[in-house]
Amino acid sequence: MKTFPTYLLESARTPGAHALDVYRGRGGYAALEKVLKTPIPPAQVIAEVKASGLRGRGGAGFPTGLKWSFMPDPAKDPRPRYLAVNADESEPGTCKDRVLMERDPHGLLEGALIAAYAIRAGAVYIYVRGEYRRSYARLQAAIDEARAANLAGQKILGTDFSCELHLHQGAGAYICGEETGLMESLEGKRGHPRPKPPFPAGSGLWASPTTVNNVETIHNVPFIVNRGEAWFRSMGTPASTGNFLCGISGHVERPGVYELPFGLAAREILEEVAGGVWKKRRLKAWFPGGSSTGLLPASAIDVRMDHDSIKAAGSMFGTAAMIILDEESCVVRASHVIARFYDHESCGQCSQCREGTQWLSQIFRRIEEGEGQADDVATLESLARGMAPGKTICALSDAAAIPTLAVIKHFRAEIEEHIRLKRCPFRDAATAGATAPAGVLEKGAVLR
Amino acid sequence: MTRIRVDGREIDADPKKPLIAACHSNGIDVPHYCYHPGLTPVGSCRICQVEVKQGEMPARLAVACRTPVAEGMVVDTRGEKSHQARKECLEFLLKNHPLDCPICDKAGECDLQDFTYDEGQAHGRTHEPRRKLEKRKSLGDVIVLDEERCILCSRCVRFFEEVPKKPQLTVADLGSRSVIATFQDRPLTGNYQGNIADLCPVGALTLKAFRFKARVWNLRKQASTCAECSRGCSTTVEVLRDGKVERFRPRENALVNRWWMCDTGRFAFHPVNRTDRALPAAIRGAAGLEPAPVEEALSLLADFLAVHPGALLLASPFLTLEEGRALLEFARARELEPHFLSPAPNGLADPLLHTGDPCPNRRGLTELGFAPLPPEEALARLGGAAAAILAGDRIAELVGLEGLGRLKPELRLVVFDCYPLDVPAVDALVGLPTHVERAGTWTNVDGHRGPISAARPPPPGVRALDRLLQAVPRNAAASRSAT
Repeated sequence: MKTFPTYLLESARTPGAHALDVYRGRGGYAALEKVLKTPIPPAQVIAEVKASGLRGRGGAGFPTGLKWSFMPDPAKDPRPRYLAVNADESEPGTCKDRVLMERDPHGLLEGALIAAYAIRAGAVYIYVRGEYRRSYARLQAAIDEARAANLAGQKILGTDFSCELHLHQGAGAYICGEETGLMESLEGKRGHPRPKPPFPAGSGLWASPTTVNNVETIHNVPFIVNRGEAWFRSMGTPASTGNFLCGISGHVERPGVYELPFGLAAREILEEVAGGVWKKRRLKAWFPGGSSTGLLPASAIDVRMDHDSIKAAGSMFGTAAMIILDEESCVVRASHVIARFYDHESCGQCSQCREGTQWLSQIFRRIEEGEGQADDVATLESLARGMAPGKTICALSDAAAIPTLAVIKHFRAEIEEHIRLKRCPFRDAATAGATAPAGVLEKGAVLR
Repeated sequence: MTRIRVDGREIDADPKKPLIAACHSNGIDVPHYCYHPGLTPVGSCRICQVEVKQGEMPARLAVACRTPVAEGMVVDTRGEKSHQARKECLEFLLKNHPLDCPICDKAGECDLQDFTYDEGQAHGRTHEPRRKLEKRKSLGDVIVLDEERCILCSRCVRFFEEVPKKPQLTVADLGSRSVIATFQDRPLTGNYQGNIADLCPVGALTLKAFRFKARVWNLRKQASTCAECSRGCSTTVEVLRDGKVERFRPRENALVNRWWMCDTGRFAFHPVNRTDRALPAAIRGAAGLEPAPVEEALSLLADFLAVHPGALLLASPFLTLEEGRALLEFARARELEPHFLSPAPNGLADPLLHTGDPCPNRRGLTELGFAPLPPEEALARLGGAAAAILAGDRIAELVGLEGLGRLKPELRLVVFDCYPLDVPAVDALVGLPTHVERAGTWTNVDGHRGPISAARPPPPGVRALDRLLQAVPRNAAASRSAT
């Protein structure tokens, strides 16, 4: 298996590194100490992170240092300030933050404290996905240890910097991973995303300046502080610096979470890192960054995994959660599974999303079950265009629309074949023990 | 004021209000469901999308209810892009809508119906079964919810949170399974439940009292003022062809009631719909009160006043300023002391609208010079008086029918009221129009004047009090020589 220099998962690979003494033994909390004791002024921390080119790892890829700089000047704005860490990892396919939280919780806490210092927040709220029980337990134990060691709470490490760490367990709603839904949920309300503006930096948690960052983003921060922005920029591509965690799943030989530099070809990740498509089958399609990023055909597997290259290929980098579909999988069925997920998880505020996600799911189900109608593809396409982009309060509607448009773009013939045959060619093939009709599989190039 | 350009017109916009408010106040119609000027905008229905161009940025679609106005902003509400966005939005809203307009009470005043006629498409594309939900879920004594018709605009939810400030409703469940619900299906409480039926832009929340009573296009509507307390909320009286009042609804008035009214006032149409009305006039004869010409009853009144100077004059707190002035003139000419009946607070006062004072024109009558008289004192004075005039809507009921029944038959008593009254002391009863049958003005507790107007004609032969008073003969002798 091809390997690459790593830093993010170093602690996570060390047995017992979730405990404070092991983490500190590896040099943990040195970055926090460096920032607080030197002391490095908050503005300089932000400048360093800006210069490093670190982009958010929660899906949108927004520059982290720039986001931090949106926080108002505390001299002019007396409101309390907050950092919210988005640990509500719920996107189908995405499973990277879980590894970090379970195995390297102190890495997250250290990064969060540095980030809080940089934006001058007095409290950090870590919003953990409800099902992530071990993440929650490990983070709580780590917070208790950190507090006891004066690494969190009042006058951290004897300096004037005070910051409380709070852990919040979600209740299972995907929408609470949307940053404004997350804040509503933290405030004890239903996780209904808020219209923007106002943006969180202007009015976030309890109407106060708030920055929301993803777990993996925060995890990068101590490394940037310790090793410098130039080191960070030495990895990846000019526009997407550093390493990222790639959670590869689906029909691969070695699914898992891998730490990789940006700019690696997707083919290399699939074949060299994850051992190729399972059962020696051929690749049919793949999602580059989780279920909400449009799927790409096998012919696009040579694209590089970084924000700009994936965008140029017509999809999104998202959370780098590659989902691999082999030649025997049915894209209609996959689309139905995804549409059903977004129907289930839509908060129901916006008309297009509430009704549209259900409608998409219903149509895909009908087509898959042999009840497709002649106008279904046209309807799917126009519904998806009515749901996105930017037509709703948050991006969940887009998340349902984008994979729909992508599957129509790349696999229209396969959908139409379902409708024409009045059945799913793959499902029948599976029950008959035969391969799918050649007519379907010859559409688009496949990888061996 | 901020200067913006909408559909090619320069308009002034209040910078504290969203773009949609500027459009509406300038007569530019932008469809809306979740937006209501009296509630916090949430921007969730997405029907108010318009094209907005600001500065050098390219024009983009934005929901007008969540877009702050900015100097120089250029807005297109009628362009192809915004029309297309609204058309799409309507299709989504109608996807699960039962389209039961023919049996829906809201039909004719339904925003979903109206905007669909304006901008929707004529055919549905869905092959899916429509959502089956509860069609008639009782939310208490006032409201019934049809979950299938609901478009989840959440106006009703926000109303209870923001206006009476006692949250009672919520959106339960998520996504396409969302429904409006109360906690543990408890009934709604409070005196402001009816407002959510007005707020509901579709036929999801309807009044039990109005359910299947009328098609709204058959209702004749007249601006008026609520009679139930001294707040004097601006209302619309809605009358069916047969003259029956089917609804009182709040009418927007920024100074008094904004968009709201209490249920006490909303459902107070039973008195005005009473079919047992006082005759134009009746005079006591051998067999009790017998029908008589109005002039005769008025002559009898003149006779009494000639014989008994200083008769007690007691007006109803429902009298309008115009009637009050006429009565005052009448009293001064005859040296009578003007009083109005002032019942005690009824205990319905709340911090929002209801004052608890059942006298809609207390302030107006007081300012004219009428002295308030509580019912007990009124009865005591009636007991000691030789002659008395009771004048105005519901005066007998407000003084107390039982107390009136105990008065001596020797008392010379003429009553002007809307409803029949047969107690031994009454010598003549003259019928009056109710407050939905005459025009006039009331002054509310804060000094704001509100009109009442005739939403239907009074019963044949019944005249308003000011006209009747003008017809009372100047003196008894004159009246006798005339007859």
